[in-house]
Amino acid sequence: MDTFNLFKVSASAMAAQRERMNVIASNIANAHSTMSEEGGPYKRRDVIFSTVPLEDNPSELDAVQVEAVVKDERPPRMIYDPQHPDADKDGFVAMPDINVLEEMVNMMTAFRAYEAAVATFNSSKAMFMKTLELGRQ
Amino acid sequence: MDNGFRILEALLRFTGMRQGVLSSNIANADTPGYRAKDIRFENSLDNELTIKKTDPRHLSGNNPGAIPVLSTEEEGEWLDRNNVELDLEIAKMTENSLLYQAGINMLSTKIRMFRNALRR
Repeated sequence: MDTFNLFKVSASAMAAQRERMNVIASNIANAHSTMSEEGGPYKRRDVIFSTVPLEDNPSELDAVQVEAVVKDERPPRMIYDPQHPDADKDGFVAMPDINVLEEMVNMMTAFRAYEAAVATFNSSKAMFMKTLELGRQ
Repeated sequence: MDNGFRILEALLRFTGMRQGVLSSNIANADTPGYRAKDIRFENSLDNELTIKKTDPRHLSGNNPGAIPVLSTEEEGEWLDRNNVELDLEIAKMTENSLLYQAGINMLSTKIRMFRNALRR
């Protein structure tokens, strides 16, 4: 059993889910940002995961990585607010179309997946510790 | 020496491998297009136990040659073109880990038995 590769697989899952959590956090934080670096309202982001086979592995271990962070190109919501500094000439402001409920559901999914990775890590660790006890007493 | 060590060694090897495969499934639970995998090590153990000698001059193999069967689950699909069932995988992993630890316990007991026998 390639014990240390087992840990690598679990760690890759934890890192990937953590990055996803960061992206979701910035989506929620920017739900009302009307200005962004590239101009226009903030665009919500999504992570795409992909499988990476661990190098030199006979037992086909597959780690996971964040392949890309993609921008969601859905059109902005137009809110009527003539007092807003970013309002257009008709008094409409382009707000990012972020549904907090959707983000929360994604966050819970990410959290559960992270927990599952921690459970995997602990289970592999229990096996490894048990192996160290072999032949004692 | 009896067969016990050989069988236990095979058990530990297979459960160790399966742990890796199940870890990969859990790590890739949200990867688009990933297919859940499994090792049918029960079958491999069967092969292990039923190696028969057809001729008395055959050597009894010391080296278990059975190859674990890696299978890919094709059925079912979530919206992200992935078919990992997280709860199922966790259950499998717990079972697998306990089986491994049971194997280690048995191996420890066997070693202790031999040690006792040598001491008398």
